[in-house]
Amino acid sequence: MPKRFALALVLPLLLDAAPPASAAVQASDVISRAVDGFIRPAYAALSENAAAMSGGMDALCAKPSRQDLDAARKDYAALVGAWSKVEFIRFGPITKDNRLERILFWPDRKSIGLRQVQAALASQDSTATDPASIAGKSVAMQGLGALEFVLYGTGADDLAGKAGTYRCAYGRTIAGNIEKMAAEVSVEWHAPDGFATVWKQSGPDNAIYRDGNEAVTELMGVFIDGLEMIRDVRVKGFLSANPDDDRPKGAIYWRSTQTAASLAANLEGMAELFKASELGEALPPEAGWMAQSVDILLTNGIADAKAASGPIKDVLADPARRARLEHYALVTSSLSALIGTRMSAEFGLTAGFSSLDGD
Amino acid sequence: MTGLAARTPLIDRRDFLKAAGAGFAAALAPKAWAATLAADAVFATAFVRRDGSFGAGILSEEGKLLYAVKLPDRGHDVTFDPVSRRSVVFPRKPGTIAVVFDHMKQIEPLTITSGQGRHFYGHGVFSPDGALLYATENDFDNAAGMIGIYAANDGFRRVGEFATHGTGPHEMLLLGDGRTLAVANGGIETHPDYGKTKLNLASMQPSYVLIDRLKGDLIEKHQLPANLHQLSIRHMDADQTGTVWFSCQYEGATMDRPPLVGRAPRGEALELLEMPETALNSLHNYIGAMAANHAAGTVAVSSPAGNSYVVFEARSGKVVAATDMTEVCGIAPDGSGYIASAGTGRIQPAGGAPVMEPDFVWDNHMHRIG
Repeated sequence: MPKRFALALVLPLLLDAAPPASAAVQASDVISRAVDGFIRPAYAALSENAAAMSGGMDALCAKPSRQDLDAARKDYAALVGAWSKVEFIRFGPITKDNRLERILFWPDRKSIGLRQVQAALASQDSTATDPASIAGKSVAMQGLGALEFVLYGTGADDLAGKAGTYRCAYGRTIAGNIEKMAAEVSVEWHAPDGFATVWKQSGPDNAIYRDGNEAVTELMGVFIDGLEMIRDVRVKGFLSANPDDDRPKGAIYWRSTQTAASLAANLEGMAELFKASELGEALPPEAGWMAQSVDILLTNGIADAKAASGPIKDVLADPARRARLEHYALVTSSLSALIGTRMSAEFGLTAGFSSLDGD
Repeated sequence: MTGLAARTPLIDRRDFLKAAGAGFAAALAPKAWAATLAADAVFATAFVRRDGSFGAGILSEEGKLLYAVKLPDRGHDVTFDPVSRRSVVFPRKPGTIAVVFDHMKQIEPLTITSGQGRHFYGHGVFSPDGALLYATENDFDNAAGMIGIYAANDGFRRVGEFATHGTGPHEMLLLGDGRTLAVANGGIETHPDYGKTKLNLASMQPSYVLIDRLKGDLIEKHQLPANLHQLSIRHMDADQTGTVWFSCQYEGATMDRPPLVGRAPRGEALELLEMPETALNSLHNYIGAMAANHAAGTVAVSSPAGNSYVVFEARSGKVVAATDMTEVCGIAPDGSGYIASAGTGRIQPAGGAPVMEPDFVWDNHMHRIG
């Protein structure tokens, strides 16, 4: 489409150098708003929820009871929600020391992680309850997936009594490990000479982003890659074209029944990031409809996911709720096309996303 | 339900041929260009059209599109057999259909389907006599890299396979002895059930291997130091002395700046090259293609993520040039320089004016053929 190219030439909206200054949206402003308005608060919320989870495990282990187990499970659901909002930020401090995989290793295609967790529980492996050594273990043994099995997997009700002493200690160690990583990530996003500064201050001497377009490309990639991940991995992991081929146990967080809640939080996080960064406002007036469409689609997708809550096996068996998940998948496809193709073209950024995915 | 394709989607090749119809091959080849196709240096590359369709084409030295074929899925690299003068365009992962075309005779393209439980990784080579085609493939249920072997003179029937002794093989070269295959095992596990998701980043183990293409034996296997296990070895070319150069994509922390280019002298450990900071930064921890210019004694690497390409002097291993070009990836030697292509539709010939084809997203690789 020649139109796209023409737009890129006449509307280099996001180039730091684009004159006149009054009409141009500065890339550094967009990134600053994304960081200050979404990323930092979202990681702070993750850190708080991880601390609450850790506290919940401490309480449960100190005085095992049904009540405290229920409370810990609530903490887990909240932690999954906080993580799901920010998990599609896949650059910066979260990439250090494999934190991304250590907080959530998924999919566990061959159930290797599950077997490792089960083995630790069966043998009461003392190194798995040692905060110093858990960080060096397999990524599958130290994050949300392992903690979910501890809290909801076979034998989890032992946690309400003395039989669950080891299991609780392992869960507490995992929670502490997540708490530590979440706190570190939050602090590092605030470091004066850290990644946030590098991202905000693109320029010829910048180690990563040599101009505003590269910085904004990173931000647009959050939506484009995130939507693709949600659709191709999270949803297709369990929802098939034919209901008979659905795989409820292929759904993330099926044990804790947080599958749909996580899908809702994914789009909620994107909606918050889109709003905070004011990307929609950076569009030229004739393309303003795109921002409205993004808004509507995100709202619809969130509503779809929220309407599909409950144990995923039941959701899939209920045609009405299952249809909401199908619609959710369609919404993510529409959002991908709108943001990845049309909106990035308006910013003169198009094309390249496709060539950046590990080939 | 376009959003919900079947798991492990496999396009049926008969459906593709039926849909493509007869005579779809010669999409673009006015007779006036036939002489160019025959006489001059031409370059093959895959592309995506802005309307979302896929193809592969032949470009002139000046960057003019001379010939194109449609593809059922997104293409990646093209390999050429000078004996039969046919080209094969491999699909990008996790594609299962490669397309064979002849840009001179313009016969109807053939398709090659990867074996059961296998998909292509986007690269491959012919044997020197053109009888066999080797392709990097994924035995995805076992996360094992494979080399699929196809009989070029028998309809590209799949006749065997070898292990690559690693996960996620990407580019493959046939070395100058005509018998040794060099394979870059990128180390990254993917499975078609999970799209492009990298399943093993925390534990990935990339390697560079040499394999005897006649026996399938592993001849050499080299790994990077343990602290660089997230440096995925992906692309290679041999310089004018026959020494293999390799280039990498880094899967570790954003702020790390590992070396991205190295040499693999036969029988020796891998050697990583130091680069000036600005040149290294401009590659954004991601090299998308690599090409050597034997006449000039140089090797080039391109980065669509960093919007630049960097040229090394092969003998000294020193950077001699770094050039900015938005979304550059395809790069091939021409004269004493390089022709480069980009996702923006731009083609920069080795000499002369750039060509802009805004309707085309040029894909990762470009190769001189003929």
